[in-house]
Amino acid sequence: MSESTMTRRDFLRTTAAAAVVGSAGMPFLGRQAVKKEAKVVLTRHRNVVDADWKLNKQIIDEMIDEAVTVLFDVKTPGDAWKKMVNPSDIVGIKTNVWRYLRTPQDLEQTMKSRLVAAGVQEKNIGIDDRGVLFNPVFTQATALINVRPMRAHNWSGVGGCLKNYIMFTQSPPDYHSDSCVNLGALWKLPHVHGKTRLNVLLMLTPQFHCTGPHHFDKEHTWLYKGMIVGTDPVAVDAVGLKIIEARRKEYFKEESPMRPPVTHIAAAERKHGIGVADLNKIEIVRLGWKEGALI
Amino acid sequence: MPLIAFFLLAMTQPDTLRQSAMQSLVPPTIGQWAVSEAVRFYTGAEIFDYMDGAGEVYLAYGSRRLLVQRYARPNQEEILVEIFDMGLPRNAFGAYSNMQGRAPMRRIGQEAEYKNGLLTFWKGRFFVCVMIDHENDEATKAVLALGRHIADAIREEGAKPGILDLLPKGKYLPATLRYFYRHEILNIHFYLASANLLSLNEKTHAVLVRITGDKSHLLLIQYPNVAEAVTAYATFTAHYMPDAGETGAVKTENKRWTAAIRQGACIAVVFDARTQSGARALLESVRRKLP
Repeated sequence: MSESTMTRRDFLRTTAAAAVVGSAGMPFLGRQAVKKEAKVVLTRHRNVVDADWKLNKQIIDEMIDEAVTVLFDVKTPGDAWKKMVNPSDIVGIKTNVWRYLRTPQDLEQTMKSRLVAAGVQEKNIGIDDRGVLFNPVFTQATALINVRPMRAHNWSGVGGCLKNYIMFTQSPPDYHSDSCVNLGALWKLPHVHGKTRLNVLLMLTPQFHCTGPHHFDKEHTWLYKGMIVGTDPVAVDAVGLKIIEARRKEYFKEESPMRPPVTHIAAAERKHGIGVADLNKIEIVRLGWKEGALI
Repeated sequence: MPLIAFFLLAMTQPDTLRQSAMQSLVPPTIGQWAVSEAVRFYTGAEIFDYMDGAGEVYLAYGSRRLLVQRYARPNQEEILVEIFDMGLPRNAFGAYSNMQGRAPMRRIGQEAEYKNGLLTFWKGRFFVCVMIDHENDEATKAVLALGRHIADAIREEGAKPGILDLLPKGKYLPATLRYFYRHEILNIHFYLASANLLSLNEKTHAVLVRITGDKSHLLLIQYPNVAEAVTAYATFTAHYMPDAGETGAVKTENKRWTAAIRQGACIAVVFDARTQSGARALLESVRRKLP
């Protein structure tokens, strides 16, 4: 038996401690002020999506524009996109097409138009999910934009920005062991490493609980009407997870940690060093609608 | 016939036959819906070509082959059918139990549930999902009719795992029952540990239920022999409840009680009981039923 075995009781101890500052399984650093090492923008709008999940394109365009402007601390959205890409870049927009909760195509097209406005040639922009290993834009990409909805997952706990890069490996099962703990390693693959300029974790209608392995029940989603934007995929996912956990507690009326527990976000910091998972070290800039933010 | 061709034929023919037998379970049309594309098969790890990590759940239940068939009708919902050949009835029941508790049961196959456009059922060695993205009356009726057709086409029936008979009747919530034999599945429903502390494997049977009343979790495991149960019990208690000592019970970090017993080739564990006496009483009622 490995000495590194993590039991539920270890998690319970961590959770009790982390309740003060952060999310279950995340490193605990105590109450003292900690230097912020990552920045994310959490933006929400009451009318971005309606009860039938119909998206308001104008509002979501305004949300992403405002979010990147604040994230990069510039005056206009155009300035932000120009900080992300050069006209010579070949840009892959890594989306997610899961049939029940896909990245809205309107948002994909908005991102593409912003890249074009920043000077990137249209022929050098690709939008893809499952075909990234064969899409010529992605195989030659010099820059990546990562955008997908947050959802509970029966094997990895949650699927967020980190997990969205599973399609960049020819052998996804290699990353499935121990609740996909090593998803962070995907970000060190030669054709991925250092290329991601923006991560957008969509929290418009996040799924907080799994019905089955790959199934879906709208009852386990809610109208959060937000998105989390950052350059650090670990920080973006850590904030998203915290919100999902808060919603679970609200819905189930008892402590109900993700099952299986989410190990890959903390491991992405601790083991793979690709970002910041500790909420205490993440600056969260909040924009827009505040009610029911859960964080 | 060259030897290699003979071997290829020998390997391919039964496989092709099994595929065609599975394909015969799905009709070309259902109501006004018709097959919209060629049937697809995913054998073993090929399931990852169809779904990513979620495929691990089916493989952990022994999935051998997946059939996927889509049906279309103009201006109506697409109907998606997934038929999993799980190899054994216990695996099919396990895959079904992994999801059960979503909705009232339906009389389709051996057990079925339908809610929000998703029908799931098991029969014999098959676990079946029939689904639409958005419900409407016609599409829902078509999903249920398609499910009945498939269930009728499956000629075999299968027995539920015998370990279910060892559960204390009337003391647990039936909708929470999960049957499995891999620790990864246990961790989906009740996270125990990253390592396989209870030595679950293809030769064990495990069932997890939530107890009526205090909502504690009862885990019951049957091993192929006493020696394996003794070893697993020692490993589990040493790593998970070393502070329990001889008592076999411990108050855990969430102020609830965990207690465990082994009898013969079986282990029973209660997690998150409100009181120590409640945990012990439950285990005693289980002990009386164990062989």
